[in-house]
Amino acid sequence: MIEQVYFAIFAVVALCCALGVLVSRHPIQGAMSLIGVMVALSGIYSLMASPFLATLQILVYAGAIMMLVVFVIMVLNSAKDSSTPRFDLHACVGVVPALVVGAVICRLVWAWHALDRNRVQEALAKEPAARGTVEAISKVLFGGRETSGWAILFLAVGLLLLTAIVGAVLLAKRRLDKPPATPAPSHGGHA
Amino acid sequence: MIFLPTQSLILAGVLFAIGLATVLVKRNLFFVLMGVELMLNASNLAFVSFARVHGNLDGQVIAFFVMVVAAAEVVIGLAIIMTIFRTRRSASVDEANLLKY
Repeated sequence: MIEQVYFAIFAVVALCCALGVLVSRHPIQGAMSLIGVMVALSGIYSLMASPFLATLQILVYAGAIMMLVVFVIMVLNSAKDSSTPRFDLHACVGVVPALVVGAVICRLVWAWHALDRNRVQEALAKEPAARGTVEAISKVLFGGRETSGWAILFLAVGLLLLTAIVGAVLLAKRRLDKPPATPAPSHGGHA
Repeated sequence: MIFLPTQSLILAGVLFAIGLATVLVKRNLFFVLMGVELMLNASNLAFVSFARVHGNLDGQVIAFFVMVVAAAEVVIGLAIIMTIFRTRRSASVDEANLLKY
């Protein structure tokens, strides 16, 4: 019963913060709302017996990724159109496919619910699901032959991260062979 | 009384729809990136819900990999946004039309 209450609280917080991302005008407001969504989802993960993912959600998403986004928003804050109008009638056509996709997903979930509701309920009542602690998840990741190829995927993801780092450095650095576009301000104070 | 996975799956679907609406409606590059993040979070929630249904940890491992890929995607996306901003002095998707014609 108490889990239902906690889930309801976290779900309401996540939905309100997600709507905040949708209707906010400045990217900083949207980033703060998105951090709220991620913290609420972390709470839901810990309700669903996965403390490792709940911790990673706070550390990686709400900590590292959103910190990077907020830093770049602050660096580029001088954009002339960083604050956009809230309701742009021309762009509101985009809500229609989102509504259609959301309705289709909810209908599919409801059909799945009606299909094997009894099986899921007895599976949840019979035994608690495997808890996703660090030890359990690392056993699945590196556990050997019976857990199929997660270790190979782990190595591939490491390669992906290395590629992303090199690509980000190449994209974001200034040209080294050219002088900078804006001359450095002189220290003399003439002007 | 534990909550059913149907509830968290419905929540994931609604979050996915809101993220898709953010991508489609907003004109700012940062909002587009944050909408993609929201959709990835919703898919993570669905993965964890199904891992709970099936009683094993494979769904949680996939959610872990989705987090790593999201981190790489944000790094590259922010670098591209900075490059576009440096040439166009703007963070609007309408200004990024170099490949249009």
